[in-house]
Amino acid sequence: MKRGWLRARLLPVALLAAACVLFVTAAPAWCAASSSTSRLPVVTYTVPSALSASTAVTAWSGNSVLVNYKPGSSPVDAARCELSINGGRLTLTPLDMSMVGGNGVQFPISTSYVMPHGDLKFKVVLVTKAGERTDYSWTYSYGGAPKPTLIDTGIMRQWWRYIARGGIVVVELTVISIAFAMVFALFGALGRLSRGLGLREAWDKHHSVSFLVGNTARKIPYWLATFYTSLFRGTPLLLQIIVIYYGSTAVITWAQARWSIFDHVGFPSAFVTGVAALSLNYGAYLTEVFRAGIQAVPKGQTEASWALGLSAWQTRRRIVLPQAFKIVIPAVGNDFIALIKDTSLVSVITVPELLERAQLVAGRTGNYLSPLLVAAAVYWMLTIFFSFWQARLERRLEHDRARA
Amino acid sequence: MTGPGSQPTPHAGTDEVLVEVKGLHKSFGKLHVLKGVDFVVHRGEVVVLLGPSGSGKSTLLRCINSLEEAQKGTIRVGDVTMNCGQWDRAYRHAVHGVRLQCGMVFQDFNLFPHKSVTENVIEAPLLVKGMKKEAALQRAKELLEQVGLSDRADYYPSQISGGQKQRVAIARALAMDPKLMLFDEPTSALDPELIGEVLKVMKDLADAGMTMIVVTHEMGFARDVASRCIFMDEGVFVEEDSPENLFFHPQHERTKSFLRHILPKEGDNVERVAGGAPLGMGDEAPQEMK
Repeated sequence: MKRGWLRARLLPVALLAAACVLFVTAAPAWCAASSSTSRLPVVTYTVPSALSASTAVTAWSGNSVLVNYKPGSSPVDAARCELSINGGRLTLTPLDMSMVGGNGVQFPISTSYVMPHGDLKFKVVLVTKAGERTDYSWTYSYGGAPKPTLIDTGIMRQWWRYIARGGIVVVELTVISIAFAMVFALFGALGRLSRGLGLREAWDKHHSVSFLVGNTARKIPYWLATFYTSLFRGTPLLLQIIVIYYGSTAVITWAQARWSIFDHVGFPSAFVTGVAALSLNYGAYLTEVFRAGIQAVPKGQTEASWALGLSAWQTRRRIVLPQAFKIVIPAVGNDFIALIKDTSLVSVITVPELLERAQLVAGRTGNYLSPLLVAAAVYWMLTIFFSFWQARLERRLEHDRARA
Repeated sequence: MTGPGSQPTPHAGTDEVLVEVKGLHKSFGKLHVLKGVDFVVHRGEVVVLLGPSGSGKSTLLRCINSLEEAQKGTIRVGDVTMNCGQWDRAYRHAVHGVRLQCGMVFQDFNLFPHKSVTENVIEAPLLVKGMKKEAALQRAKELLEQVGLSDRADYYPSQISGGQKQRVAIARALAMDPKLMLFDEPTSALDPELIGEVLKVMKDLADAGMTMIVVTHEMGFARDVASRCIFMDEGVFVEEDSPENLFFHPQHERTKSFLRHILPKEGDNVERVAGGAPLGMGDEAPQEMK
């Protein structure tokens, strides 16, 4: 029965996500199709204001086509540049915008020019003084400005593999980080629990300075762990990522300037610093989870173990921690799924994970929505996948507990 | 004090003093729970501690194997002496030495839920004694047979009844070959119909010559098995005597009023120990029983 309930909850979500991905990769043509090209345009153009979709252009109201041109080795030779509409070259005198402090070429279109109806195919030929020719074409539908593309399935089809490979990086980041985080959390939790007695209590117990000193020394792990969790839970994860990334480089540079033994120490990669920041941050949160888990193991377990003659360490390792781990598994699962999404933050330090790749594609194609939606779909599928496993695991634990 | 041999009780013990507690003080914060307890148990004796809740009987038991740290006094078990209130290496060594000689059975079993019955039993011999696994398994098999649970060896604690759990707990404690068994209200958490099986195991254990200190409210068990009953109240021993004398001829007013509450009313079925005679009330009952 439980199984059916789970299936009923998870299947629709999974199907929805699958449909989303299908749409992203093979959407029908109702999304305005446009050519996509991996070759980046050298020129960009400014749409003349009069050429809007809502205006039926019968007579040209007087405007110009401005072609932004990134100057290469040689400046543009405005006199030899051409503009043609629907194959017909316009006789006009282009202006070199660099004369007035701009970039590119302006083609002034006279008011007497009668714009043809229908699809207008614009073509610009730019010629540099060195004689290099670059041409670029675009189309106005219905004589208006090109409709801005919302979701460009062409871009998606072309780039989804590149973006989705970031999913592998996300899984790597998540799995490695959660593993380190659990190690940090284990030590953090043991530290947080080794609180010992307060100064007053310790003195009252034996009235002995040596006991007081020993007791205080045993509290050092507690202080360290408290400092650690406080610091990493008290500052933003994004800040930690940036500080560790730039800070590690800065520290190594600083050390290299002073001691020669650091000469051969390389700078850690963005991936390594990203893992460090994520695992330290999540370790701090999991520390509290683990602490609560260890405390949730009944006191009687420890007492029974001690009564049998097991040492404190044996008790911890063989009796308390195995039970505590079982208790914290659901919470760790939750944090695992949260971590999948938080790995997107390491895009700021150029780790080529999903979001970073999507943003790169967005920058290259000029279409932001398409690659970002692909990234969103991949994140979503990853979380659905791992939520499914987490649900299974929890159900199994619940089953174990029901047996208890 | 009722010494060994002064009463014809079944588990009177030998002359060898196994446990010796002197001047034991224990307080929780401002609450003074044990106020200078002196206490001797001979090898082979079965001592039952009685008393109202908060009288310190469980605390005394837990102090003996240092689950509670007493502030003052000495505890000797076998040849190991703990000077309470210390914290040095010698003290910790003594604590371990005492725990090795004491098996403890708790009110709520405290079996390790992530280990099977057999694993529960062999855990301590493997870890603490460094026993070989085959030997430990063999010993576990014998012990489980002794407590009548051979068929539950591979079950997990969650799969067996309370009475079976407590019998496993006894087997687990016995696996360390203790000289002394401490029972802290071993039947209080059990359903009435499961109490008998645990008491029977305890009785068999006593018959086999085990030294036992038992905190219990099972008067039938106390009468049949104990060589000595001690009534505690407010951290001191009020009265100690043979069970017969303590139950039916208590000397102290405090004991009498306690027994009025604890002893079964006429007509109650008190026969729980297999083969044990029911605790006769009738004309033997103290006058205060009315």
